[in-house]
Amino acid sequence: MTQAFAQSRTGWRRKLGVLFVVHYAEMLQYRVEIALWAVATMLPLIMMGVWAQAGESGLFPFSQVLMLRYFIAVYLVWQVTIVWTIHHFEFLVVTGRLSPMLLHPVDPCVRFILMHLAEQGTRLPFALGIVGLFLFLYPDTLTGGEGGDIWWPGWWNITLALAACYFAFILRFFMQYALCMVAFWHERVTALDAIQYLPHLFLSGMVFPFEVLPEPIREVLLWTPFPYTVWFPASLLVHGEAPVLRGFLTMAGWTVAFFILYRVLWHKGLKHYSAMGA
Amino acid sequence: MPTVQADNLSKTFHVADKQPGMLGTLRHFINRSYRAVQAVRDVSFAIEPGEVVGFLGPNGAGKTTTLKMLTGLIHPTSGSVSVLGQVPFKRRPDLLRQVTLVMGQKQQMIWDLPPMESLRVNAAVYGIPEDEARRRIDELAEMLTISDEMTRPVRKLSLGERMKCELMAALIHHPRVLFLDEPTLGLDVNAQTAVRNFLREYNRQHGASILLTSHYMADITALCDRVVMIHKGGLIYDGRLAGVVNRFAPFREVKLELASDADESVMARYGEVESIQGRVVRLLVNRDGLTATVNRLLSEQDVTDLTVSDPPIEEVIGRVFDDGEPGDTDEYTTGADSV
Amino acid sequence: MKRYFNTLRIFWSASISAEMEYRVNFAMAAFSSVMTLGGTLMMLFLFYRTGYEMGGWPWRDALAVVGVFTFLEGMQATFMAPNRTRVTEHVREGTLDFVLLKPINSQFWLSVRTVSLWGVPNIILGLAIVGFALTTRETPPTLAGLASGLLALGLAVLMLYSLGYLLSTISIWYIKLYNITMAMQALVETGRYPITAYPGAYQAFFTFVLPVAFMTTVPARLMTGRGGTEWLLGAVIVAGLLLALSIGFWRFALRYYTSASS
Repeated sequence: MTQAFAQSRTGWRRKLGVLFVVHYAEMLQYRVEIALWAVATMLPLIMMGVWAQAGESGLFPFSQVLMLRYFIAVYLVWQVTIVWTIHHFEFLVVTGRLSPMLLHPVDPCVRFILMHLAEQGTRLPFALGIVGLFLFLYPDTLTGGEGGDIWWPGWWNITLALAACYFAFILRFFMQYALCMVAFWHERVTALDAIQYLPHLFLSGMVFPFEVLPEPIREVLLWTPFPYTVWFPASLLVHGEAPVLRGFLTMAGWTVAFFILYRVLWHKGLKHYSAMGA
Repeated sequence: MPTVQADNLSKTFHVADKQPGMLGTLRHFINRSYRAVQAVRDVSFAIEPGEVVGFLGPNGAGKTTTLKMLTGLIHPTSGSVSVLGQVPFKRRPDLLRQVTLVMGQKQQMIWDLPPMESLRVNAAVYGIPEDEARRRIDELAEMLTISDEMTRPVRKLSLGERMKCELMAALIHHPRVLFLDEPTLGLDVNAQTAVRNFLREYNRQHGASILLTSHYMADITALCDRVVMIHKGGLIYDGRLAGVVNRFAPFREVKLELASDADESVMARYGEVESIQGRVVRLLVNRDGLTATVNRLLSEQDVTDLTVSDPPIEEVIGRVFDDGEPGDTDEYTTGADSV
Repeated sequence: MKRYFNTLRIFWSASISAEMEYRVNFAMAAFSSVMTLGGTLMMLFLFYRTGYEMGGWPWRDALAVVGVFTFLEGMQATFMAPNRTRVTEHVREGTLDFVLLKPINSQFWLSVRTVSLWGVPNIILGLAIVGFALTTRETPPTLAGLASGLLALGLAVLMLYSLGYLLSTISIWYIKLYNITMAMQALVETGRYPITAYPGAYQAFFTFVLPVAFMTTVPARLMTGRGGTEWLLGAVIVAGLLLALSIGFWRFALRYYTSASS
């Protein structure tokens, strides 16, 4: 019994290992495109310009250095939490390539997650290069400028931030994957993706620091999943001032909710997909 | 117990209708009308372990839909399917490990990597240990006579090479039931022969059941003893390949050479006159009375030469699909020709 | 000329009827345009509620920049992006040869082949926002300012087109264009706010390397009468250069293509 369990566990480890390595090799073939993705996701760094400039005015409750750090952190967090599975999924459904995957004894979603991890691994060096460029242009980010502190949130916060990043990735993945299921009924789901991207863009802290929001709005948003996918991990990285317990619990709740939604839609969707000719 | 058992399978699709032109577009935009299309109706057959069955029908006859119902990708509107005693639509892993479906050219392979990588993925997905997977890949590669293609990206392979790799990926888990949709489509003659030989060999070694569709009759005659034919969604024949001619062409062709020019009214007494060219006559004679008719011809006419032949099977099947109506279904579904 | 006009009419009515197939998508595109605009206005609110003025621009003037940006986004999605995708398809499927054999200028054909309705909501919203910003200003715009601003807006469209066409030309060598386009669009996002709201390094880059400043800040600046006719001259030069570059680069690419593909 225990032996069988151990065996099935090593079986899974090998399965995941092989899948990851092969998909990593696949992603390396697309390294030029993926490097361009590191540029295409530079929006936080553009917003950094506006907010850093605003921070200098002294009219806001934060300094220029804090804004530099915050948006660099947001860019880094985003590199881990980008989910593109909807584009891939739509392609698979429209071209009928999902069908052979359904005949595999491993759920396709396992492969999709591993593909994201492999893609992240390919993109990260380029993203770090871009961060390096900005740190070079604005060295105050690290040193804190005249009379400022060095940017060091501490090991504990870094660990928490990392955990929050990957937790956020899983949350974002299932949020989008649940939406992917619509592809079974309506072929062009990428238009839907543009809509789910909007709250992510404007309510997650990607284009403005959460601190500038009026208190009641902030309180409402803290019940939604959005701030936890960007603002929460980024804040942990910047100074560690974030509601840790609440953050992880809220993320867990939403993840479970979207996971259940995906499972329900998946079963319904497969029936419909099959009705349309698979 | 048969490996595959289909009972009264039917499938109806709902498709949107659109009239051409701007007005049609506008109407389609505002108010869509749908119509029901019955792709498959009341199809029943069984495949026994180790059997290779050809699945024939013109384009749009419902072959692919049926294959998808048999693999569980499509849920039948009515009727039931059982594969290895299970319902395929439930897609239980232990069933999935024993079946495979090959459809088209670039379904499974990762486009920008060498085929080896895709094969490794499938080996892992099906839980085949590394050394065993290597052994199987070598074996399959040898049977399919490919080797140096394994290190080039899939996108750089020829159609034939890609199809061979596709077959390897589909068979690495040694399935017992194979559903093959046009595995030789678009391949050159050499590659067709290679795939054909490979399938025969695989069937022999593993005792696998194979259901195969193909546009090339050569595939069918080389591999299948038995064929299932559908037309406009309905089953029109299920039986031995040789029986197709008997069933659909109950005539044989008698070619005569007479001593003098033939007279059509005289010849019409013996059978349906196909053509008369001087002293050469072609007659279609009913199979049942063939011997008697030939005897009569030889005794009553001055025959210098006589040959009797079957019309070619391609032609017979082509004719069936040209005028076989699904209304004939009942007449054909059961019969002595079933194996 | 008439021939070109007729071609255009046939192209566009065909692509519009193809687009109508996806009615839900159109509704969603409109919805997403409104929401994006809402988000951007919220951003402006967050800046201006403290009394901060972005780069010294009062909020209505900054709003004009947002309007110009939204308008250009719509133009891009309606006229430019769908054609870019098509050029890539032509190259990938080898059908570019057929286009080259047609008795019509190939750049014209490839630039106007299709339109997409998805950008229309943004075009309308953008113009409405600009109109609102200009009419509610304390000092209404002068006729001269408005004229020069509209001219600059036209030049901005030309710049955007030329930049985009430069990108599609790259697909002759490098087929996976989608990501280059995405990268450019991300950088063009800068144009949503007045260029002076950014630090110096940003300003330099987005004026001289990627001329985003000329696309949104300059037209808004002229329309709102913030002066600077020298900027109009600059816009003429930049647009002219980019257009010439896009034509020249296309010709160069075709020479490469016709000598390499046979």
